[in-house]
Amino acid sequence: MVTTLKTIYTPITEDMVKDLEVGEMIMISGYIYTGRDAVLPKVVSLIKNNKLQQSGIELNGSVIFHTAVSPAGVGPTSSNKYEIESNIPTLSEAGVKLHLGKGSISKDTIASLNKYNSVYAVIPPVTALLSSKIKSQAVAAFPEEGMEALHLLEVDDFPAIIAVAHGKSIY
Amino acid sequence: MKQNGLICNKVKNTLIQAATCFRKDQKEAYNNAINKETNPRAKWVMENLLENAIAAELNKRPLCDDTGIPHLFLEIGKNKQVDGELLESIYKGVAEGLRELPGRPMAIKGDTVQRLDQSGGLDTDPGALMPAPIVIKPIVEEELRLHILMQGGGPEIRGKTYRVFHQHKLSVIIDEIVSWALQEAGKLGCTPCVPAIGIGRSHFEAASLMIEAMVHGDFSKQSELEREITLRVNESNVGPLGLGGQTTALATFLRVGPQRASGVRIVCLRLCCCMEPRVASVSL
Repeated sequence: MVTTLKTIYTPITEDMVKDLEVGEMIMISGYIYTGRDAVLPKVVSLIKNNKLQQSGIELNGSVIFHTAVSPAGVGPTSSNKYEIESNIPTLSEAGVKLHLGKGSISKDTIASLNKYNSVYAVIPPVTALLSSKIKSQAVAAFPEEGMEALHLLEVDDFPAIIAVAHGKSIY
Repeated sequence: MKQNGLICNKVKNTLIQAATCFRKDQKEAYNNAINKETNPRAKWVMENLLENAIAAELNKRPLCDDTGIPHLFLEIGKNKQVDGELLESIYKGVAEGLRELPGRPMAIKGDTVQRLDQSGGLDTDPGALMPAPIVIKPIVEEELRLHILMQGGGPEIRGKTYRVFHQHKLSVIIDEIVSWALQEAGKLGCTPCVPAIGIGRSHFEAASLMIEAMVHGDFSKQSELEREITLRVNESNVGPLGLGGQTTALATFLRVGPQRASGVRIVCLRLCCCMEPRVASVSL
């Protein structure tokens, strides 16, 4: 099968999001954040307390990949875990344009993504492949969380499928 | 001492193989599924999974970032012996394998309460992760054979060990297994799955038979019952990563042990994820 895939470079603009469709297979390149159950509530707490700017975290046009960063590599965890999914609306409002994980998400979350012109994509759990596509990695915030700290990765061609966009879901 | 070092090294390499390599029949199952699949997204996901397996084997990198909890299955020939020293060498090999892999550091520190609520933090040493209790079984061959499985967390969340009242009909048991599998396949996330099933007289026996099914199951040699379960799970259209398609299950691995003279069968079902079974074997 020969398929031409759209490459999405970060930061993602409002117009780029408008062009994405449910079911579209894409490649993601550039800088992306990683965070899951432990750290996303802490990031949201910074947003709610107006401390995001001084933390150095830049969410405008960003991607957040729901994963830990361990010596074994990276791979998606279920995005419908409460501490991940419940924070998607606030993160979207703060500028996150693409949430990257796995599993179906609720109607309320789908609606909130639409409201803030953000999308949700799923990524195959291809840890060995993804390891070869990470050009750099660093802890961006909350180092006390260890492998679950907020990390900033520079990646090249991470494969993903748009699962939720513009109020529609693939599930 | 020299002999123990040799065993330790064999165990280490076997653990790394289990966590980094698809088996030959597993690769063939993926190739067959990719060729048959008509949903382009499902095909693309499985191509990525196979490409990942090739990269993992080539670079000796973990197939998945959840490197799993080591489960050990030891088969012993009639004239072979197992003593405390041998078990110590096996456990040492497991720890060394986890460090070299490297495994995800997942050992929870602390006392009973801290291990339950995870307030004691994680041990940063991948080798601190204790394997599950070892299963030992006699075999006819004059061999001491160790199988190492790496069991990920997602399939454990979707697994179930429970009783089925058979009503003297096989179809009642199979219907129940398929019903459980269909309830969980969509939630697993990492499909295509492999339902691994053990049926025995107790919860322990059913679980150990399920482990045995994962050890000896073969993607290319499916029994009639295994084929039926796979076919029925695939009718769900859950597909790879839940994105739709004909490939929800790649195969089924079923092991039926001795049964109770009563109306009950204890069934252990584990929906192995798209990276599993991660298993490798070695003669010690």
